[in-house]
Amino acid sequence: MVMRKFIWMFCVLVTHNFLFSQQDKLVFHPTFFNQTLKPEVYYKLNAKDSIQITSFKFYVSQLELLNGRETVWKEQSSFHLIDAFDEKTIVLSVPSNITFTKIKFQIGIDSLTNVSGAMGGDLDPTKGMYWTWQSGYINFKLEGNSNLCKTRHNEFQFHLGGYQQPFNCLQTVFVQVKSKANVTLNMDVAKLLLYIQLSELNHIMSPSKEAVELSGKITETFSVSYE
Amino acid sequence: MNKKWGIAIIMCLALCAFNIATEHIFEVPKNWPKPTYNSNKNPLTKEKVELGRELFYDPILSKNNLISCASCHSPYTAFTHVDHDLSHGIDDRIGTRNSPALMNLAWHHLYMWDGAINHLDMQALAPISHPDEMGEKIESVVLKLQHSKKYSKLFLKAYGDTVVTGEHTLKAISQFMLTLISANSKYDSVMRKQSHFTEQESKGYQLFKQHCASCHTEPLFTHTGFENNGLPIDSTLNDIGRMRITKNPQDSLKFKVPTLRNIEFSFPYMHDGRFKKISDVLKHYTSGIVHSKTLAKSLQQPILLSSNDKVDLTTFLLTLTDKVFLFNPKHSFPKK
Ligand code: HEC
Ligand code: HEC
Repeated sequence: MVMRKFIWMFCVLVTHNFLFSQQDKLVFHPTFFNQTLKPEVYYKLNAKDSIQITSFKFYVSQLELLNGRETVWKEQSSFHLIDAFDEKTIVLSVPSNITFTKIKFQIGIDSLTNVSGAMGGDLDPTKGMYWTWQSGYINFKLEGNSNLCKTRHNEFQFHLGGYQQPFNCLQTVFVQVKSKANVTLNMDVAKLLLYIQLSELNHIMSPSKEAVELSGKITETFSVSYE
Repeated sequence: MNKKWGIAIIMCLALCAFNIATEHIFEVPKNWPKPTYNSNKNPLTKEKVELGRELFYDPILSKNNLISCASCHSPYTAFTHVDHDLSHGIDDRIGTRNSPALMNLAWHHLYMWDGAINHLDMQALAPISHPDEMGEKIESVVLKLQHSKKYSKLFLKAYGDTVVTGEHTLKAISQFMLTLISANSKYDSVMRKQSHFTEQESKGYQLFKQHCASCHTEPLFTHTGFENNGLPIDSTLNDIGRMRITKNPQDSLKFKVPTLRNIEFSFPYMHDGRFKKISDVLKHYTSGIVHSKTLAKSLQQPILLSSNDKVDLTTFLLTLTDKVFLFNPKHSFPKK
């Protein structure tokens, strides 16, 4: 009985490896307009300002590939903490022998996971993406400084998250892709910052109406290019 | 074939033994509801509970290595902080709320007076990180534990791995807290038909069921939800309770209904520790209720209690004292 189960599992694992051993890359590429975003470098939105990004992290979860409307691949326990300034984290992989026309994923952590207690890996609360005074994951974190902010060290901090209505910040992203080769998803931070008006709003630190609004703009920062 | 059956039987036995072992650590009292905590995701073992207990009593969790969970949740007072209305933390900083008694937490679904914490595992993060409580970061706690010989051993025993993670640290603390079950008061033995209430306690029990049980529901003596029980606002704190989290005006001034088990020992009372004695609390319910928009329906009509009634009700409340729980050596400071 036990033996048969092992043999069966072995077969599954072998075929799984055979089918999926070929991997394509899916790269998250942070940009400021068309330039690659680098930490501690000053950028310009307009003539008068200068902006520096010190931290840019977010969760990508429930990664899926679709062919037309049909889901052709779904990643198991799919949670990735992406640190835009850490090369190791910005590359995800997808199987290469599957034809797909769309990539689907979420920015943030779903509500069920949010209420399921302590978890490990990228979801470990030591990763700095968990609120301590009120339970919940921070889906998306963008920090930096700008002369537009009338704050200490001209800092701005946007910690977007919240899993309960009416402040659910989870975002679903669909990206159309043409070729099957390695896909790069560019994320233009400048687009978010243009939306914010840093002179008026310089921090969001809890689930709120503002967090929901800004989260809704994250999907608009994406564009696709191919390696 | 025989051999395979042998293996199967041994595995079954091992599984049974494991089940018996866990049941012994965490036993649901007879006729109690199913716990809300899903222990399938964090199966209790003796070693993990023991690790959790060490952590609970260890000031290593605080920035200055002086404050432990037990500094505010002492075992001899049903795991609350007795000498202060508002809890005292690191550098003697004073918090804004009274530390609640800790027991039967596996049956709660939200934690803190305002329900800010959605899972017992995540609870410890709040005091560890709070600048007025332990003023530390979970990242540094994990590093400190990683560098400690004692904890390397304890983590190895509990998880088969000397690598300390946030997840394992938090789950171990949960395990210890899950074992804090109070179900051995006189009230419980009466319910199990092992003893009898006195006439006075019986009268008190009737009054309790009439006036208090809608919120302080048996057998936990809390329905674990949020209510406004008519306390006047303390204008120095301006605590709006549950609304702080939901931002919904209908939740204004609602606080988590605390358990009344071991109430004899868990003074001072209420979220800000404003009452020192049970008689102060009864005075509030009979003549101190403030009528605001969110006041609970069951408190809209005045509660009338004669002075005899008050004595009876208090006598009943004292039957909720559970000496087995309060003096359980398994809950106290771990011996070296
Ligand atoms: C400085 C005092 C202090 C320390 C240290 C402290 N707590 Fe608390 N604890 C409190 C206060 C005050 C509350 C209520 C806070 C609130 O409602 O906002 C509380 C609430 C709780 C609750 C929620 C109970 C309920 O019924 O909702 C639990 C569980 C708890 N603490 C466990 C712990 C653990 C575990 C530790 C150690 C990691 C700890 N506490 C350290 C003061 C403290
Ligand atoms: C409408 C729900 C409701 C009813 C009815 C009710 N209570 Fe309460 N009780 C609460 C809430 C909510 C709190 C906590 C309030 C706070 O701290 O702001 C509380 C707190 C208490 C406390 C303090 C416990 C602690 O550990 O701090 C005691 C004692 C108490 N109630 C006793 C009673 C008695 C006795 C009755 C019946 C005469 C009663 N309650 C009726 C909701 C209720």
